[in-house]
Amino acid sequence: MALFTPNLSFKTATFNSSLFILPATRHQRLRLNRCSRSLKLRASVAVESPSTSATEHVGSPELLLEVKDLSAVISESKQPILKGVNLTVREGEVHAVMGKNGSGKSTFVKVLVGHPDYEITGGSVTYKGQDLLEMEPEERAVAGLFMSFQSPVEIPGVSNIDFLNMAYNSRRRKLGQPELGPIEFYGYIAPKLELVNMKVDLLNRNVNEGFSGGEKKRNEILQLAVLGADLAMLDEIDSGLDVDALCDVAKAVNGLRTSKNSVLMITHYLRLLEFITPTYIHIMENGRIVKTGDISIAKVLEKEGYKAISDA
Amino acid sequence: MVISILPPIVHPPTALISQSLSSCLPNLLTPRSKSTPRTSKARVFTQSQTLAILSDPHVLQLAETLEDSLQPSSSPPLPPLQKLRDISSQSLLSTSWPSRKDEPFRFTDTSFIKNSHIEPISPSESQSLASLPVSSDTLLPLHVTILDGYVVDSLSQLSELPDGVFVGGLSSLNSEVTMKRVSEYAPNFQGDLFWLLNGVGAPDIIVVYVPEGCRVESPLHLKYFSLKGSEKDSKILPISNPRVLVLVEKGGEIGIVEEHTGVDETDKCYWANSVMEIVIGNGAKVSHSYIQTQSLDAAHVKWTSVRQESTSIYELTEVSTGGKLSRHNLHVQQLGPDTVTELSTFHLSIGDQIQDLHSKLVMDHPRGVSRQLHKCIVAHSLGQAVFDGNVQVNRDAQQTDAGQLTRSLLLEPRATVNIKPNLQIIADDVKCSHGAAISDLEDDQLFYFQARGIDIETARKALIISFASEVIERFPNTCVQNKVEGLVRKLLDPTPSSR
Ligand SMILES: Nc1ncnc2c1ncn2[C@@H]1O[C@H](COP(=O)(O)OP(=O)(O)OP(=O)(O)O)[C@@H](O)[C@H]1O
Ligand SMILES: [Mg+2]
Repeated sequence: MALFTPNLSFKTATFNSSLFILPATRHQRLRLNRCSRSLKLRASVAVESPSTSATEHVGSPELLLEVKDLSAVISESKQPILKGVNLTVREGEVHAVMGKNGSGKSTFVKVLVGHPDYEITGGSVTYKGQDLLEMEPEERAVAGLFMSFQSPVEIPGVSNIDFLNMAYNSRRRKLGQPELGPIEFYGYIAPKLELVNMKVDLLNRNVNEGFSGGEKKRNEILQLAVLGADLAMLDEIDSGLDVDALCDVAKAVNGLRTSKNSVLMITHYLRLLEFITPTYIHIMENGRIVKTGDISIAKVLEKEGYKAISDA
Repeated sequence: MVISILPPIVHPPTALISQSLSSCLPNLLTPRSKSTPRTSKARVFTQSQTLAILSDPHVLQLAETLEDSLQPSSSPPLPPLQKLRDISSQSLLSTSWPSRKDEPFRFTDTSFIKNSHIEPISPSESQSLASLPVSSDTLLPLHVTILDGYVVDSLSQLSELPDGVFVGGLSSLNSEVTMKRVSEYAPNFQGDLFWLLNGVGAPDIIVVYVPEGCRVESPLHLKYFSLKGSEKDSKILPISNPRVLVLVEKGGEIGIVEEHTGVDETDKCYWANSVMEIVIGNGAKVSHSYIQTQSLDAAHVKWTSVRQESTSIYELTEVSTGGKLSRHNLHVQQLGPDTVTELSTFHLSIGDQIQDLHSKLVMDHPRGVSRQLHKCIVAHSLGQAVFDGNVQVNRDAQQTDAGQLTRSLLLEPRATVNIKPNLQIIADDVKCSHGAAISDLEDDQLFYFQARGIDIETARKALIISFASEVIERFPNTCVQNKVEGLVRKLLDPTPSSR
């Protein structure tokens, strides 16, 4: 069963997001609230509880990512950052991770894509049934795991379109498909540019070099649109965007969603969550997910800050 | 990895230059008066009267060999050439072979040349080989082929030159007016031993003359080929001494593409000892592209000496990848106010080789602008790169804007780079900046590729190429740009299998 209509119209979603939450989702969420009160703070509890079984609804979404007790340190200093993170993402779900500055949100997603700055010290991560931590970063990417960087790095001397072409061809090669030359490739990405409403001349500039904050974010989403992803992890894709840009980016993300692929977004603001409706919201604190719930958490947060959450 | 960056020397207006310089830069302190005799054992700063006594027998013998090799022609050499030979042989009497104790050769060992048997190449040898298909590649419509230092007319194409422009050997220059101008300028002595040896050994002066106000639309391609070469380990080095004078009159404009290369794939031993002098008149512009891809067993020594009159523009873009020993001496002098100099150079050491750039830029007049970017990659554990970049901003050069930036990339554990950026500033109202960085590839950049599914080897290659691209992109001509980029890619990745 599709949790989300594939090409969910962005405008409708803005005005009445709850309209699109299907019964199955609501059901899960109820259980989740109950569980979270009992302090078993795992996103996965909903599916692990006895009341949920594979037979409950036909075509129950498959497990995509399962993170268990993940802990990680900074490779250089051995300083612990992640201290036992648990999270389960199924196909078609949208998860949001919120939390104070420095709580470990970016570290969490960077660890998942294999960033060399961090060392795993415990726990496990299963992605599509495979041990994710055994895979090279580029293998993870080709397997459909995508992270948009909170601050994408500039790469002088490498043009944006060449970079995209290289990335796209790596994927095609792995899939045993013929690679695309520069001209064919341009034909392929032209419509994607429209999708993210990005200026064509940014393609010929060097990767992120001299891009404005908003242009960098759009460029990350362009990469997502070009490469596709089964699990797109978007780290503060909304920071530094003007209202129109936020609409463009959210619209693009929604446009890319299907019943199969999932989104995990890190954000500080309710606003993005009103555009891209999350199935779950997780609160991270000091390297752990300490609370999981629905959009109401974000609303409380927006009004009363993190204090209200911790006290609950 | 061996790195040495000598601290940049930045002098405030009133600095005690002699004192602070003498400790680390003995030779750059004294104006380069080449009448200063030296022996290889000790630097002896004596009066010029004692010259003859301090002659270096090795140098004298080499000079003699070069002189003897020059074809005794029916008519005596034309005055500018005669003058050049006279001045050069005179100065050679007091010049010794440079040793590692001489500051300009501190990191550059020239004993490989010194210990070889040097054989001049006669024109007949070259002309007989002229049938080789060395010129099939016509990158640019206007071109001159120079084989082992001799112009080969049959392999040159100059029919589209504008009126008044002359390109060719001094001996075939018919215009009296042009000859007069050439005589006024050449030669301008300021070089070292290699400059002088070229002055003695050059068979002719190849002249590029652009008259007042004339814009040469198409760039002029000077294709230097080294045909004659000996086998490796033979200890024989055939030498060629091409010499070019570029004279661009007031308001004139030309693009010069200098390409120095061997002719076949096999690595031959030879010594290309080349000099180019460039004189740029008021408001004139020279855009100079320089590509050096000699054999990896060759010695390539090059002088580029530029004199710029007021409001003129000189832009150099260089890519050097060849030679076992490659040394480029680049001297630019701003002779008037509001003059612009832009130097962008890239050196690549992919084997057991040394790439050396010694540049010196003298700014003596108000409102001069200079931009220098030097980059190098050393991709072999026996590879070396040397950069000595001197910029002098003298007392009258107020409101000068001088920038120098150098970046080196070392890709192998014992790769070596010796960098000595030095700004000497005597004027007080100036804007100067400089920077020197030596690095490996950025981890964050590599990871960005990987995070998008690109394997680390492909990512490394792309980043290495991008490092070079910053300079390659500055070649004004796109054909040249593409050719050089292809070449650098091939050198860095000889097996383009996976991409
Ligand atoms: N490579 C690193 N080196 C040093 N410290 C690091 C590194 N990566 C993360 N940290 C530290 O770990 C903590 C968590 O950082 P992280 O970027 O994950 O926070 P965040 O939750 O994403 O914060 P924000 O909301 O500000 O983006 C911070 O204190 C940060 O300084
Ligand atoms: Mg963050």
